[in-house]
Amino acid sequence: MGAKRKKSEEVGGDDEVGGGKKQILPSTIKNKDKRSAVHAKLKHQKKIEKRKKAKAREAAEKRALELGEEPPVKTIPRTIENTREFDETVCKPDDEELFAGNDADEFSSILNRKSDPKILITTCRFNSTRGPAFISELLSVIPNAHYYKRGTYDLKKIVEYAKIKDFTSLIVVHTNRREPDALLIIGLPDGPTAHFKLSKLVLHKDVKNHGNPTSHIPELVLNNFTTRLGHRIGRMIQSLFPQAPNFRGRRVVTFHNQRDFIFFRHHRYIFESKESKQGDTKGNKDKDAKGEKSSQGKVVARLQECGPRFTLKLISLQHGTFDAKGGEYEWVHKPEMDTSRRRFFL
Amino acid sequence: MPRTSTLECPGCPPIRALTFDVLGLVKVTEARSKEGGIPKVVDRWGEPDSSKCILAASIDDRKSGPLLAIARKGGLIEILNPLNGHPCLSISNIIDNGPQPGDDAIVGLHLFKKQNLDLSSRSCTLLACTTKGNASMRSVELTSSHADSTSSVSSRTWNVCASGNILCSQVDGNENYALFGGKGVEVNVWDLEQGTKIWTAKSPPKNSLGLFTPTWFTSATFLSKDDHRKFVAGTNSHQVRLYDISAQRRPVISFDFRETPIKAVAEDQDGYTIYIGNGSGDLASVDMRTGKLLGCFLGKCSGSIRSIARHPELPVIASCGLDSYLRFWDIKTRKLLSAVCYQIIVMSNYLNLLFRSCYVVNFLC
Repeated sequence: MGAKRKKSEEVGGDDEVGGGKKQILPSTIKNKDKRSAVHAKLKHQKKIEKRKKAKAREAAEKRALELGEEPPVKTIPRTIENTREFDETVCKPDDEELFAGNDADEFSSILNRKSDPKILITTCRFNSTRGPAFISELLSVIPNAHYYKRGTYDLKKIVEYAKIKDFTSLIVVHTNRREPDALLIIGLPDGPTAHFKLSKLVLHKDVKNHGNPTSHIPELVLNNFTTRLGHRIGRMIQSLFPQAPNFRGRRVVTFHNQRDFIFFRHHRYIFESKESKQGDTKGNKDKDAKGEKSSQGKVVARLQECGPRFTLKLISLQHGTFDAKGGEYEWVHKPEMDTSRRRFFL
Repeated sequence: MPRTSTLECPGCPPIRALTFDVLGLVKVTEARSKEGGIPKVVDRWGEPDSSKCILAASIDDRKSGPLLAIARKGGLIEILNPLNGHPCLSISNIIDNGPQPGDDAIVGLHLFKKQNLDLSSRSCTLLACTTKGNASMRSVELTSSHADSTSSVSSRTWNVCASGNILCSQVDGNENYALFGGKGVEVNVWDLEQGTKIWTAKSPPKNSLGLFTPTWFTSATFLSKDDHRKFVAGTNSHQVRLYDISAQRRPVISFDFRETPIKAVAEDQDGYTIYIGNGSGDLASVDMRTGKLLGCFLGKCSGSIRSIARHPELPVIASCGLDSYLRFWDIKTRKLLSAVCYQIIVMSNYLNLLFRSCYVVNFLC
């Protein structure tokens, strides 16, 4: 009883001081009622202050614009990407060891256009509902991909058969509870094995206003693969597609990495110019036409989404082909690596 | 719940470490200051070239005239001066019989510390072992000038295993005995002076389900410097076994460690502690008298550990692996002292690691 009274006095006393330096932390109050009350009050105060600041900023800007002066500099909001923890493995543009390493890794022969990619897609043993639909969409997105039913073959045997038939990559779509939920990309002949977790799958027919993909070789956009590990994964994804994009086909496949999640999108695009005086010049312009920015106005690109949309997250990268028991990992996620909310690995 | 805040790593005491990688480079990492120094890569010897990838290395850490031997892909062995990286010698074909076949890579190398007493021409002895089982012991002369082909004083080649691949080989502290083991090859111990096999291991009997795991040793080390009879071997099926030559052919103690193959084993100087590293980056120390796990080294190690080395004087060990980091750990507290990132793309590399105790005199030159 005595303690309770002391705490209420403390709270009262500090509030009177005016929330200055000696503000009490709500987490030190053991009484849940009081603690939630103090916490709610603190939050309310912070919200009022924030609103005041925002109003003051807007008023200052408006005043400056009216008076014709320079508006005050806009402050940059603090985001998690801005405050990402410094990672020493970020690739620098002038790293010769990186280039030497690239020349000697498993994907260099495809990326140097010496050989063409040939992909084998298969599934886990039990495949149902959304699985086959996803596979048929993958077949349309990735050129030169072939689908074989899984049967009851061992994955290691499948790897051997694929090597004999000269495939360059093997993709296994794993299904759980009637939904595809993992993707295993195995480079062949003895390339690395990347295990991704697949989520947020939206099929082609479920996309609003979807377009129809053509069979031109798509352009590839890989965003934000900055670290060494990210660079390696980026090259691995790049080696799935042929390296001769057909710009006239106006088809683009994007793998965008943000906070270790890789977002896959598939679009068709058109360049158009807006606000043109001589009427709409909506034509099939390819990329060279962007240079001719004539006086007709801005050239914008309109996108139409087609094909599936999904998100990948890397679970592990194994050195060598798939070998669950005897394999060694280049990168595997461990919970002790998660000690900072600002740390990302790709 | 794991810790949600970052810990600052304390630095390391002054040490110097050499690492070897798949692009054929030798990197020297040093921590200069007395306490809390951050190690940095101070030197890099060689050009990045993956056809010269380094497969094995061994150091002879004498005070006068230390030598470092490295084995590259294609059967080339080079002997360098570990202080400045200048090559002293290169041997192109250590196996005498016939040309080196392309796939018979060198898997183990050892530079002997014993020296001949006549110092008129310094000679060093090398023991090299390839994956097909051809072991060769050769002593070569070191002249002051860089010589390409050697005049070998004596050499001997013998075959260690009839079939299977050798994956690990070690020479004991007194340099009279060597052990070899690998995939399909039980661990053998050979007497180097006489060139005979003195002991072979026997695999443990079938377990209660009647299953028999095939032999696959991935790493091995002798337990202490003066005793050639006890050694520890790690297998592909995540088992660590202690063998005693004088007791029996089957393992004396054997226990399981996590789920990936044991890729590196290193012994401590007290003769009964070992450090094991496995394929998913877990590093742990074990007391081999009882077989009990003393503790794991927690840190952001996410790649398979390929090599562990213990500093000869300070209580520090270093580990390196496929995630291209070299990490220094304190033995007693099992905490990470510091980590150095290497600017290499990690591929089929064999990062080996040798420590050199810090001589303050040599530091300055």
